[in-house]
Amino acid sequence: MSIEHKTGRPIDELIREGEDPELLYEELRAAFEQERSKASTPQQGQALRDRWLGRRSGLLSATNDHWLKAAPRELKPVVGKLQNLLRRDLEAAVKAVAEAAVQEQAQAEPDLDATLPGPERARGAVHPVRLALEEVLDIFRPLGYTVAEGPEIETFFYNFEALNFPPDHPAVDEMDTLFLKDGALLRTHTSPCQIRIMESKSPPLRYVVHGKVYRNDTPDATHSPMFHQLEMFAVDEGITFGDLKGTLEHFVRCFFGPRTQARFRPSFFPFTEPSAEVDITCPFCSDGKCRICKQTGFIEVLGCGMIDPNVLRNAGLDPQRYQGFAAGFGLDRFAMLKYSIDDILLMYQGDARFLRQFR
Amino acid sequence: MRILLSWLEDFVEIKESPRELADALTMAGMAVDAVESEAGETVFEFDITSNRPDAMNHLGMAREVAAIYRRPLRAPSTACAESGPPAASKASVEIQAPDACVRYVGRVFTEVEVRPSPDWMRRRLELCGIRSINNLADLTNYVLLEIGQPTHAFDLDRLAGAAIVVRRARNGEKLVTLDGEDRDLTGGHLAICDAERPVALAGVMGGQATEITAETRNVLLEAAWFRPSVIRNAARRFKLFTEASHRFERGADWNAAPQAADRIAALLARTGPGQVLPGQVDCFPQQPGLSPIRLERADIRRHLGIQLDDAEVEGILSALGFEPSSDSSGWSVPAVSHRLDVERGIDLVEEVARIHGFANIPATLPSLGAAPELTPLAAEDARMRAAVRGLGYDETIGFAFISSDEAERFGSGDPVSLRNPLSQLWDVMRNSAVPTMVRALEWNLRRNQPFVRLAEFGRVYRRSEASYEEPSVLTLGASGTARQASWAEPAREVGFYDVKADVAALLAPFVPDAPSIVTKGVPSYYRKKHAAGLTSEGDVLAWFGELDPELARERKIRQPVWVAEIFLDKVYGRGLRRPTHRKLARVPAVSRDFSLLVPDAVDFASITEAVGEMPDLDGVEPVEVFRGKNVPEGSYSLLLRAWWQRLDESLTDEEVNEFAAEVRSRLQSRLGIATRT
Ligand SMILES: [Zn+2]
Repeated sequence: MSIEHKTGRPIDELIREGEDPELLYEELRAAFEQERSKASTPQQGQALRDRWLGRRSGLLSATNDHWLKAAPRELKPVVGKLQNLLRRDLEAAVKAVAEAAVQEQAQAEPDLDATLPGPERARGAVHPVRLALEEVLDIFRPLGYTVAEGPEIETFFYNFEALNFPPDHPAVDEMDTLFLKDGALLRTHTSPCQIRIMESKSPPLRYVVHGKVYRNDTPDATHSPMFHQLEMFAVDEGITFGDLKGTLEHFVRCFFGPRTQARFRPSFFPFTEPSAEVDITCPFCSDGKCRICKQTGFIEVLGCGMIDPNVLRNAGLDPQRYQGFAAGFGLDRFAMLKYSIDDILLMYQGDARFLRQFR
Repeated sequence: MRILLSWLEDFVEIKESPRELADALTMAGMAVDAVESEAGETVFEFDITSNRPDAMNHLGMAREVAAIYRRPLRAPSTACAESGPPAASKASVEIQAPDACVRYVGRVFTEVEVRPSPDWMRRRLELCGIRSINNLADLTNYVLLEIGQPTHAFDLDRLAGAAIVVRRARNGEKLVTLDGEDRDLTGGHLAICDAERPVALAGVMGGQATEITAETRNVLLEAAWFRPSVIRNAARRFKLFTEASHRFERGADWNAAPQAADRIAALLARTGPGQVLPGQVDCFPQQPGLSPIRLERADIRRHLGIQLDDAEVEGILSALGFEPSSDSSGWSVPAVSHRLDVERGIDLVEEVARIHGFANIPATLPSLGAAPELTPLAAEDARMRAAVRGLGYDETIGFAFISSDEAERFGSGDPVSLRNPLSQLWDVMRNSAVPTMVRALEWNLRRNQPFVRLAEFGRVYRRSEASYEEPSVLTLGASGTARQASWAEPAREVGFYDVKADVAALLAPFVPDAPSIVTKGVPSYYRKKHAAGLTSEGDVLAWFGELDPELARERKIRQPVWVAEIFLDKVYGRGLRRPTHRKLARVPAVSRDFSLLVPDAVDFASITEAVGEMPDLDGVEPVEVFRGKNVPEGSYSLLLRAWWQRLDESLTDEEVNEFAAEVRSRLQSRLGIATRT
């Protein structure tokens, strides 16, 4: 392919005949300029580029060698130089056309509305009880505790007797406990697991036990016949009440915030001796004047104590050699405190609007 | 329990402010719920644990105060002028059931006159929440609040034979209690009787026939000690929970009985009118044995982590009414009748610890002891939960109770039934988690939720041999749109393949090869032909599909509802697959499409099976499945794409064409399906 001069003769012929190459190149430049002025879209810019500068069939590439070959010896350097100049200018011009076109098109498009929401991606909620559980486990795991769950259908022995409940304790009553027809029962707390673990493993033991527990309670905003309990216990030689205090103080600081202080109040449970209730300084107010702490500045959060020697003995451990501590609390209550949930029944309805708050 | 500050001050000196005292008692285990000021009196509201009946009165609480501050305790005055013939000559007491009644103290008052109590007594009673009745009734209540010993006043002239006989009731005996109720007694009940008949339900409530009236002149006062279990059973049997039964069933003090009788006598002599006959009629056939308790010095440190001075230990125990005697290794401490809850060394350690103050025991941390045990299945469970979340399912938890009707429709075998269910809708433990999930879906659909995705990790319950099994199940529920509706994308209804994809994605980390699909044996609560199972090595790992529309309609659900059950025990049991890297090919895969007209009876699995194994074959996928226009009835049109790849070199067109020809020939020969071009 070659470019024709306005006279209709091929340019290489004119070059061979000694025509002034500068003039010829000026004319070429003019022809390009004319085509360029008509190119305004990115597509036209691309077409211009292909026609003139295409690697194989572009006008310039195709003719390059012809002209140089056709030029008389003395003019060859001039033709070569002019050719390079032209190529450089054409490339710059084509690039400018392309850029201008892109810019123009971008201006013509409306701005996108960045405030419109993107389509929602799947992300499931974690149930608040589970959320609280995970937080608690994350505190105890690094302290060397193993996690266990245990059966929910329990025997009278594991749920009461082995835990040192006197046979006529009120909790044993049908008013409090759900029994199965064959005399088994739904565990009323996670403590039976203590016995099961102590029976099957040897100290040192560090365990967190959690899961569903059941009471014969009519559902209302603060009672549910099924709820979740968590219990942690440690059995070893040399475990003391001081260890219980240190462990739980660390725990409530991690869970309720670094400024939280724990207060250990003597209390009574059949399976621990000494027993204590733990109150924490109210994390929701600094002046003891809020609804949650009932204007006392303290919130009762868990029960604990040194495992009663009778319980150790019932589980086959020698109370002269081993001591242990245990602490338990309701995960539902912890979740309710932490996430401001005012009705325990919300936990068990499966209402997606409630659950999605915990995504 | 309400306690008056001024009444405590009768027995112990108090220098602290009411608030300080309340805090000190709370921290010693006597929880003060409130400190109130009423009519110029400070009233403490206590919540006393059931093991401390000794503290459920003013003297007992004063003993706690005395121990905390190590101040002397003053006993209430029992000094009293007696006159007339000895009490024993006017009334007799006999215990015929010494196993149930350990001690019975009688006191006789004559020439009494029933009238209002003095103001100071009425005031104290009323501040404690007790209504004033008359001087005799008020005296018994006053001493109950003061010493904790329940007492009862009989009209002596109405006691046949002026006798008290404590015995088991005879079958058929009747008693009208003070509340006017007719009580049928049987041989099991402990009754206070006169020479002829029951006159009171021991430790629970007196009888009408012998009650104090305006005409009463002579009184027999009872102060007794009954075995706690006897009173508890009686109170429960008659559903009669009184102040007296409350104290007795938690354990009173047999040595407080004569003290209370004397205190009432002293108060009566002071407030009058009335004459106190000399002496008690004290029937105490056998003092119950109290074993000495051993408290080892080393045990204090072993349990508490601190060592206390001997002087402090002895000071605390003495203030609480114990009499410790020390020796080289510790103390020998006789048990005391006012603290029957203290029987062992550890109980004494607790007493010492709580009065010393839990706050004064330094916090420490136990050493690790041994390398922690790994929690079984923790990794499996964490992976599954993360995957469920990632798929957009909101985690729910439902009650584990269902109705026996539901158990029959959704589960198999004998359900685990409750003896005392909360309601008939909750009378068995669930043998399937599907009804729980359906209830949750129903709850949301009734609240017009357009997009519902729920997941529950829970258990189902069933019998196994002599015991129970509680396998874990993951239940998924889906209804409404496939994605949360958005302006940016058109909404689409969730369907079978969405649920299948989710189930497959959840199983993928556990099952190395794609699990096989089964359509036989799907439980009947799924819609026929719209449900399937995934199995691996013969185990059903999951069922999934549309809930039977009939079941849905019964629950007023009017749109398709999708459910899946993943049997976690079986899935987790396989363990997490350990990923293994395979070398990546350096050249892209090459594909060929095949347009097939397939009879309905031939499913996709048969087609992949017919294509079978082939060297360099990388995979076969359905690109388009179409029924209807231009496709003859009884068949469907399938656009099938096969991919080939070689690890290190490109495949030539000729090679791939040969492979494609092989695919066509296999489909033709194995299934009789011609490929269209
Ligand atoms: Zn507060």
